[in-house]
Amino acid sequence: MKDLRHIYELEKLLQEAHNELIRQATDRGEIAIGSVCSLIPEPLLNLPGCFSVRLRAPRTGSMEMGTYYMTSIMCEACRAILERAIEGGYQFLDCILAPDACAQMNRCVENIEHLRLCDKDGFFVTYADVPMKSDETALRHYVRQMRQYILDPLAERFHIDTSDSALQKGVALHNRICRLLTDIGAYRAEQNPRITGYEFAVLCLVSYCCPKEPLIPVLEGTLEELGNRQPDSRPPYRARVVLAGSEIDDPELIRLIEEAGALVVADRFCLGAFPGREEIVLREKEDILTGICRHYMEGGQCPRFMNTDKINERHTYMDRLAKRFHADGIIYQQIKFCDYWGYERAYASRIMREEFGYPVLSIDRPYAVGNAGQLRTRVQAFVESMEIKKIKNRSRN
Amino acid sequence: MGKAMGSEPLGKFYSGKKAKRRREWRGFRDTWYDYVHWLGIWKTLIGFMLHLNNLRAFFRYRWMVNYLAVPDFFDRHTEGLRGTQLRITRTALELVVTDMCKSMGVMFRADPALGNDKALNERLVVFDENMMSEIMNGFPNLKWVSVEVPAVYTCAMMAQDSLFYYLDKAQEYGIPSDVCPMPAAEFGVSLEDDYPRIGKCAIQCNTTCDGSLMGNGLMAARMGIPTFQLAVPIRHDEDSVQQYAAEEIRNAISFIEEQTGETFDWDAFFTSMKDFNQETAHLLEWYEVSRSPYPQFTDNSLSLYRYAVYMAAGGREKEFLRRDQKLTGLVMKGYERQEPCAVALRHRAITWGVQAAYYTAFAGWLTNCWGIVPLVDMLTLCSTREVNTEDPEKALYDLAYLYEKMIMRSRSNGGYEVGVADLWRYCEYFHADMVIMYAHMGCKSMSGYHGLFEEEARKHGIHLVWATHGLMDARGVGRKDMRTEVNRYMRTVLREEPLDPSLEDFDDGQAW
Repeated sequence: MKDLRHIYELEKLLQEAHNELIRQATDRGEIAIGSVCSLIPEPLLNLPGCFSVRLRAPRTGSMEMGTYYMTSIMCEACRAILERAIEGGYQFLDCILAPDACAQMNRCVENIEHLRLCDKDGFFVTYADVPMKSDETALRHYVRQMRQYILDPLAERFHIDTSDSALQKGVALHNRICRLLTDIGAYRAEQNPRITGYEFAVLCLVSYCCPKEPLIPVLEGTLEELGNRQPDSRPPYRARVVLAGSEIDDPELIRLIEEAGALVVADRFCLGAFPGREEIVLREKEDILTGICRHYMEGGQCPRFMNTDKINERHTYMDRLAKRFHADGIIYQQIKFCDYWGYERAYASRIMREEFGYPVLSIDRPYAVGNAGQLRTRVQAFVESMEIKKIKNRSRN
Repeated sequence: MGKAMGSEPLGKFYSGKKAKRRREWRGFRDTWYDYVHWLGIWKTLIGFMLHLNNLRAFFRYRWMVNYLAVPDFFDRHTEGLRGTQLRITRTALELVVTDMCKSMGVMFRADPALGNDKALNERLVVFDENMMSEIMNGFPNLKWVSVEVPAVYTCAMMAQDSLFYYLDKAQEYGIPSDVCPMPAAEFGVSLEDDYPRIGKCAIQCNTTCDGSLMGNGLMAARMGIPTFQLAVPIRHDEDSVQQYAAEEIRNAISFIEEQTGETFDWDAFFTSMKDFNQETAHLLEWYEVSRSPYPQFTDNSLSLYRYAVYMAAGGREKEFLRRDQKLTGLVMKGYERQEPCAVALRHRAITWGVQAAYYTAFAGWLTNCWGIVPLVDMLTLCSTREVNTEDPEKALYDLAYLYEKMIMRSRSNGGYEVGVADLWRYCEYFHADMVIMYAHMGCKSMSGYHGLFEEEARKHGIHLVWATHGLMDARGVGRKDMRTEVNRYMRTVLREEPLDPSLEDFDDGQAW
């Protein structure tokens, strides 16, 4: 297929944590908010006058300092982010508004705070207590926490308008991005998709790591372009997969999977489109902050949600995605040392294989994948096993 | 061989096999006391086994075999002790054994595979291992049990290889080997169907860490009884979370009421909590003595006993309060007589991080070998706030606060203030000059502070000695490796000689 018009420019944005769009926004006087987890609703961080940047450590090499401070048994993503902070890579941030969700990411942010690695005037960090269950008691708590640890500090420290009308604007901007990405992503359901998983991952990831407004024309242009794009008549892919698991902030992993023959048709992971790029539907007569929190709580698919209903819901959600995008199989992946996904991957892989009948590949991986030959081999073997299964099914029929 | 502390080299008792070469001679009086109580432990165990259900449990559950090592467990924890401290340790830990036997007896009676007492089963509420039982104080007609405690937690303390089988099972299922072995072993037991299938309903909790929470989720699916997940706030030091914490406790109470048909009895709750408050007052007295030059009731005896008082008994068992009174008497007697707690008290230490379950006697080794006296450990340093015993609304908030400050989670959750900054406050409070820093290889919560601990220790002028371990899996880092880390620090940094050179290097790799 012909390259997408904006893909090179977007790939370039992903090469740096402090990229060109962020520079332009901070030059305009906008507040840059460091974000580390999907449990802090993005619309609250993208109010008029501020924008969120999901912290990443692109082109990570050594993590020795991060490893000294957090030991080698900690998640590499957290260590890499700390390393990048030690190198001075997040000096542009005005604050980090974090939840105390995953202990490892919390420790990473606490190290950044206590080692004073961001020295912009007035830099501060807050830690919100976010829900681990989905019910009305948790929702009330969530709303109180978001008010106290996100909205109030933004209003007090930076005079950001946190009124309901500002929140409405935040939701509108968020939904606009989500709609565009949903429309773009829908092409992945085609029999011969006109967009690859890698290309979609680039588009999706920039929406987490850059100010959102300037991305709208780019995404609109891409959507229009895709309308007329002709897919290759003989695509190089031999199977379609849903990719699920812990955060993926480097599209190179998806490129590696696709080069091994598996087209990633749905991305159900932190920094993917599901559920992070699903539109927020507000209820009538419900306070807007509550509505936003409800969306993130009820729609959240993070394994941190511990009640049994939510655990089961994660499997049916996965099944729905696989069906909607006509996936042949599922790949569960996790960054090594992630406790949440360590358990979830083991359990969900079994359930999806044994109860839902999907072929499942279950892998753990380093943060910086690069050209991991072992991983490539495992995906290739998985693709072959799915092909064999298809042939067997055909001959049986 | 003699009456005095340190009168014989303790390392020579280790034979390289399961059992030691011989029992320690502590002088006639102390040896007689110790021997009689050693027989007492056998009596308790034999009494337990005389019940048919318990005997059958021995053949039904593979983890039961580890309890044959209970007498050896006592020998390990009384090594080198004399006089009052020997009595304190025995007095405290013997009650834990009696209480465990009682609790296991209840489980096996209700177990459909053993006693199959259906009426009893209807009255059992199964709690998560790391979760305190105080909610049950308001349900005097129901019984609290934790199936994971005997199957995993205390097992790991009895024999160092007790959980290898279950850990392997969890890993065969697909659980990564880098997670904390405790929830992994718990899940392994569940996979092997080695928990008694008991209880009317269950309460789980987001207890110590992310791994523990996830392990619970998987186990809930296998338990087959209605389960309530209690979400206790993570940022438990913040005022802003207290309302939610209280509401969740209320939800848990409502769940138990719905499932069992019982009503929460505030009078019964207040009665138990009054005892609980008294138990806390005793603890504070022991702390006061530990601050003095003559500490008496220290580290592991204290932590294992407090685990039972704070988390399991929770004010419901009168015997614990009586035992507390007796212990306070002993502590005060030892203090007044200025009885030393070591051959030489060279370093006053605090142990931080979670201790190795397969080497709970490590504290005794520190004392005997190097004169490092661990005054108190992190797990014991939980809430000492009094619980309101008159106003239900206030009591609910206090109860919620207590649940936020459960053992381990009070430090592993909650952030820098409780995980790091509190340590230096305690060092000052207990006049400690050293921290034995347990580095549990699967514990992400504490490992994330590694560099900050080192930098802060330097700033505070505290010796920080790392002791790496695998919590319940001794295969990666064994007991000897833990000792070696301390030995190296003591010799190379502090340039000290051991008090008992025979303990510097000995082989207990095959011991229980």
